[in-house]
Amino acid sequence: MKAQTLKNIGAGFLPRAHLLKRERSYQPLRASSEQPPEAAGPRFRSKILVLGFYLLLFTVWQLIFVFHFVPDYIFPSPWQVGKRLWELATDGYLWPSIKATLTRMLIGYMIALGIGIGVGLLMGLSVIANRCMKSLFLGLQTLPTAAWVPISLLIFGLSDKGIFFVIIMSAAPAVAIATSDGILQIPPIYLRAARTLGTPRYAMPLRVVFPAALPSIVTGIKLGWTLGWHGAVSAELIKSSVGLGFLLSMGRELNDAPQVVGIMLLTIAFGLLLDRFLFGLLEAQLRRRRGLTKE
Amino acid sequence: MVAPVPTEKASNQEAILTVENVSKRFVSGKQQVAAVNNVSLTVYPGEFVVFVGPSGCGKSTLLNMIAGFEKPSEGQILVLDQPVTRPHPDRLMMFQEHALFPWLNVIQNVTYGLRWKYRFKPRFRRQRGRELLKMIHLEEFEKARVHELSGGMKQRAALARALAPDPKILLIDEPFPALDALTRQKLYGDLQEIFTQTRKTIVSITHDMREAACLGDRVFIFTGRPGQIRSELKIDLPRPRDLNDPKVAEYAQVLMKELEDDSSEEKAASLHPQLPTLT
Repeated sequence: MKAQTLKNIGAGFLPRAHLLKRERSYQPLRASSEQPPEAAGPRFRSKILVLGFYLLLFTVWQLIFVFHFVPDYIFPSPWQVGKRLWELATDGYLWPSIKATLTRMLIGYMIALGIGIGVGLLMGLSVIANRCMKSLFLGLQTLPTAAWVPISLLIFGLSDKGIFFVIIMSAAPAVAIATSDGILQIPPIYLRAARTLGTPRYAMPLRVVFPAALPSIVTGIKLGWTLGWHGAVSAELIKSSVGLGFLLSMGRELNDAPQVVGIMLLTIAFGLLLDRFLFGLLEAQLRRRRGLTKE
Repeated sequence: MVAPVPTEKASNQEAILTVENVSKRFVSGKQQVAAVNNVSLTVYPGEFVVFVGPSGCGKSTLLNMIAGFEKPSEGQILVLDQPVTRPHPDRLMMFQEHALFPWLNVIQNVTYGLRWKYRFKPRFRRQRGRELLKMIHLEEFEKARVHELSGGMKQRAALARALAPDPKILLIDEPFPALDALTRQKLYGDLQEIFTQTRKTIVSITHDMREAACLGDRVFIFTGRPGQIRSELKIDLPRPRDLNDPKVAEYAQVLMKELEDDSSEEKAASLHPQLPTLT
């Protein structure tokens, strides 16, 4: 009886259509040259559904504004937000800010990746390093990204270096932990196969360990991107005169709700865009090559 | 009826693999568990040797020790008079799972073991890879990803990868376990063909008596834990052998009997005088 109920609940919550579709698309034997049949219809329909969902969301937003459930000065309409963003863009505030944030992010994130993957490899390959550093990095990861801002102010003052510092400290632990976990979860059979095939010790990290752990590392660098992005905007809130975070705090100082909401939306959009297109495509490619998904 | 044959084969020949009084004990908690107990055997070049025994009889442990993944607690293993200390492509191991690397395509997998021996000869590596793929009839799948191959194709690719560095001894841990009967039978044919062509020394493990009788020149029968060699059976049938050949079945039956008698202390040879001699 209980099992039955649980089963029913499960059935309600699981994306069954999605699972069924995957199940049907399973093809055990296919030469690489053959392409799976195109399924343009359902994909197109789901795009329309997603579009409809966002239209509904904006309509509800507009309705809340129209019926004055919340005072106007703290709750702008989508129209006001769009207008304010347009003004910021035409006044020449927006573009330099986006550029500044993305540039900082690029530099800080690259350094974070280098450190994170390097430390992760070390932690994955050396038991001692893992024992020593695992708890430290887990601890660092629990620290909210904004908590790095005060210390960066103390060390670096108001310079851009502090923002890099916050990005690195936010992103690197996640990348390091994902990398080391990925390494520790490598099926031992790959390591044995590599050794019996004569892989010299020095070549193991690059030829076997890194590629075997890559799916997990990609998950880590995705998470690192998100956390680094948090860090960048948090740091800019306080210590910058240009950047998305700066525009946010400027909006607050001017009591400009449309600007605050607009920049928030923009921050989400950029984070999402890069996550989807840069890392999403990378991950999809990787999974396809390894046969982890069949589309 | 199969004629009795002496097991003292070609003792004038130089041994390629010598296992001398090897024992292996694992520590589990405070207890020591003996996995292999005082095993000695000799393998000559060009032989196909099969270990059979009940599961958990330490035959895998012995194979791992020959490959160099584990060290014997006592005794020593010599390959061409050199003691085994660590894994080396001269004693190449094929695993129960195909263990092909998913980050490489088929030909990259097959040529993987050549990378260090022929570092600056990429064209040679590629050429050798193609030859091997041709030998196992996978030449059309050169650029395919591992997951695109069927189970049997994966095992064949794994076999090609193992043969690529030209090992002195090929160690096979359960050849082709997770496959359907038809594919397995075909693979036994391929393996025997490769064996007769290349005259490689092969040491293999199985718990399938039919398989042991079909593939092996000599079969070592292991007792249950701790693993000890109970007896040895020489299988003197011409190759290629078919899995369903009645003579193979006959040998398989002898092996089966021998294993079933494991609990009794008496020698099987005296119990079954009408069957091929066991020593």
